[in-house]
Amino acid sequence: MNESSNTATRNSRDKILNTVHGNQPAPRELPPLPEGTPVAPGDLAPTFITALEAIGATAYIVSGFDRIATMLHEQFPGARRIVTGCPQLNAFAEAAAAAKGLDPHLLENVELGILPAHFGVAENGACWITETQMVERALPFIAQRLVLVIPHSSIVPNMHAAYDRIAALEAEAPANTYGFSTFIAGPSKTADIEQSLVLGAHGPISLTVFLLDEGLSDAGFY
Amino acid sequence: MRVGLFIPCYIDQFYPQVGIATLELLEKQGCEVVFPPEQTCCGQPMANSGFEHLTKGCNDLFIKNFEAFDYIVAPSGSCVLHIKEHIHDPAGQKPPEAASSDRTDISALPEFANFPTANSRHNIPGKIFELVEFLTDVLKVDKLEASFPYKVGLHQSCHGQRGLKLAQMSELMAPPFSKPQQLLNLVKGLQLVELDRKDECCGFGGTFCVFEEAISVKMGKDRVADHIRHEAEVITASDMSCLMHLEGILRRQQSKVQIKHIAEILNARL
Amino acid sequence: MSGSNHKDHAALAAEFNKDEPRVDWHDETLWWVRQKRDKAAARVPEWELLRDTASRIKDNVLSNLSGYLRQFEEEATRNGITVHWAADANEHNEIVLSILSRHKIDKMVKSKSMLTEECHLNEFLHEKGIDVVDTDLGERVVQLAGEPPSHIVLPCIHLKKQEIGEIFHEHLGTPKGNADPQFLTHAARLHLREKFLTRRVALTGVNFAVAETGEFVVCTNEGNADMGAHLADVHIASMGIEKLIPQRRHLGVFLRLLTRSATGQPITTYSSHFRRPRQGQEMHIVLVDNGRSVHLGRKDFRNSLKCIRCAACFNTCPVYRRSGGHSYHTAVAGPIGSILSPNLDMKKYADLPFASTLCGSCSNVCPVKIDIHEQLYKWRQVIVQEGYAAAGKTAVMKTMNWVLSHPGVYHTAGKTGRWFMLNAPFTVKNGFNTWYRQRDMPTPPKQSFGDWYKKNKK
Repeated sequence: MNESSNTATRNSRDKILNTVHGNQPAPRELPPLPEGTPVAPGDLAPTFITALEAIGATAYIVSGFDRIATMLHEQFPGARRIVTGCPQLNAFAEAAAAAKGLDPHLLENVELGILPAHFGVAENGACWITETQMVERALPFIAQRLVLVIPHSSIVPNMHAAYDRIAALEAEAPANTYGFSTFIAGPSKTADIEQSLVLGAHGPISLTVFLLDEGLSDAGFY
Repeated sequence: MRVGLFIPCYIDQFYPQVGIATLELLEKQGCEVVFPPEQTCCGQPMANSGFEHLTKGCNDLFIKNFEAFDYIVAPSGSCVLHIKEHIHDPAGQKPPEAASSDRTDISALPEFANFPTANSRHNIPGKIFELVEFLTDVLKVDKLEASFPYKVGLHQSCHGQRGLKLAQMSELMAPPFSKPQQLLNLVKGLQLVELDRKDECCGFGGTFCVFEEAISVKMGKDRVADHIRHEAEVITASDMSCLMHLEGILRRQQSKVQIKHIAEILNARL
Repeated sequence: MSGSNHKDHAALAAEFNKDEPRVDWHDETLWWVRQKRDKAAARVPEWELLRDTASRIKDNVLSNLSGYLRQFEEEATRNGITVHWAADANEHNEIVLSILSRHKIDKMVKSKSMLTEECHLNEFLHEKGIDVVDTDLGERVVQLAGEPPSHIVLPCIHLKKQEIGEIFHEHLGTPKGNADPQFLTHAARLHLREKFLTRRVALTGVNFAVAETGEFVVCTNEGNADMGAHLADVHIASMGIEKLIPQRRHLGVFLRLLTRSATGQPITTYSSHFRRPRQGQEMHIVLVDNGRSVHLGRKDFRNSLKCIRCAACFNTCPVYRRSGGHSYHTAVAGPIGSILSPNLDMKKYADLPFASTLCGSCSNVCPVKIDIHEQLYKWRQVIVQEGYAAAGKTAVMKTMNWVLSHPGVYHTAGKTGRWFMLNAPFTVKNGFNTWYRQRDMPTPPKQSFGDWYKKNKK
């Protein structure tokens, strides 16, 4: 920006801050945050799945990536370009890592994106996915269909617990503080036309979430 | 106990039977009821129109007429709410405040200098009650010699419901309760109908009823339609202003549905 | 759009009400959204505690807004976001223009930002030769139709699907007569995908900005904010200075309340947290005042700055539902708009605080417990004091005051009025009597209650 607009914005900044400071009311303390209604550990995954299905997504509990690959092969037989951020699926799909750093527009024709996410939130079916997991920020949005994989044991009860978990994840690996991150709860949608719900607005038209439970026997899947 | 009976201006002029029913109800419960004859109005029509600064005359008259009673009771939720929230004390001392540069701080204007404070001589906000809450909370009425064998739709007048907490509001996630309903349940033969929208405003709104006539009437028509859909024969409420507005619409529609203030129903005999 | 020749809410609402079936349709659609909100809230046992917590967090924000603004600026700058300050709407628009000009760009995609509506950004940029495509489906519809949005969350809720089908037929070439929401949404998907892929600048709104971490959150169901931002070389975020929250964990409270209050969903499909620009991307945030700092000084009205733009108050308001957003002739309509707009221009918006019966429903759905109906009452006093009362009202009120302050006059007036109603009904049953247009007058009794009491009790 040039000099004069720098000055102008500096003047506005000072003017705004001074007026705000002069007009703000007497200090009010921050309240404690609620913890939300507790959910029994055994109910976390079922609650998450119920919430997810209510928002038009599908969920499966699986024992491993082999199972995921098989199911995706069955469900999306015609998909021409599949990109994945899960290295365990590199035999099945194109590695997203190869797209890293390239122009995100090149992902325009991705029909199926398969990405890992950190955890799910039981109260609303949302999954928290960070930039490194996305590989390219555009990928979870530009893919026509999206698949997310989360550990079955990762589900937290509500958004308060979610932000605690986010803070913990950053504390574990401070170098990995996200530059971009998002909660994804279902396929993209809109009800702007006479309140008729339509799945598939500008983001993916479908969402499938796999809950990985390595403790499951091969025969057990949702 | 000495009860000062406050009869809102439009009840005094157009619906005296509501005042009579209120008086009889209270006397039957053993109250000594006095109607100060020099009363006029609570000032709400002017205040709600932005002219609160013109309500000093009504304000002072009200205090003069009512400050000596143990209780003040009125068959009107909106009037009672207005008095509770806006009655001034001419003799009260306003605590000194730093000069405000806020031009929208109306309490800094001389006309508004005397809002009730802890030093108010009168305790009118503490002793004024709407009729229903007086019956349930002060007199704790648990039976009535009343009979009204009709299908009745209960209109929840907004100021009574949300302002005086006469009944739970549908917006809040909180346990349901309803003082008017509690009393109507004591009336023999009365059948309360369910409505689609339990607590939507009727659209009267004071001068709103003429300044936003189109919306006011539409809201009233929709309320009336809800009651008629559920086969109410009589619509009742604790505010005559709502009922006057609904009645205007019902009569224009030549509907057989009647309106009755809750005082009339609670005082009804076969 | 300024000037005193515009119609006021009452006149616009009366026009809206000429088509009664349409009013019913509009009213029922929005009432249904209110009911969805109720169902969603009922499933959160601690709902009222959440409202109270959110309200208190926002009270804290307002009481330390300057501190949080400084903290946010420091953190965001450290994150690589360029922070701009705009004192008013015009400065905001100039800043956006200057970013576009520097990049020699004349096309932009924009996701929903009521702030940019308030600033009239689209018109400003259009005059400068910049093409802006609104990418939220509802906003794109009204943009193509040449109208402003009528609701801050559901921009084209006032339009029927047949009308939307017509608009798409005319501008996007969809088949005439096709009004299927699924089909039309898909057509919009294809049409807007092309825009996302070809435009290098994306402007988004901001739902929440976190002072602690210098990040901001954008919530959408459609994914349009993300499709724009992650494909653009430049991401500009426009934000009102009051949208700050202190700490990231406070997002837990607000994200639980926002969408349940707005549409009855537990959360939007995407709650995107932007903290650093993408590699090689420029990220800008414009902090806009436009009267907010002044409003902060208004003891009776500052609480309206807690608003998180959920529109729950719109959906519950019996007046809004029956008059439609355009009757408010302002960017943010409904109950919250009626207490925010007079701050921007008291004369132009003097009618809005009177577009209400003060029923109080709005205050009780507000997730941050703004005392909306109380502020509506207080604005009425201010507007009258400032001399903006509707013509004729002052004279009527002064007369009313005189009559009601003098018991003798009141009794005579009452008796006289009733006499005329009984004996010369044409004096009230005529075209000059607004009440009488659609309602009968009450039947005047022979005696007032006062008369009866005097005869029977004294």
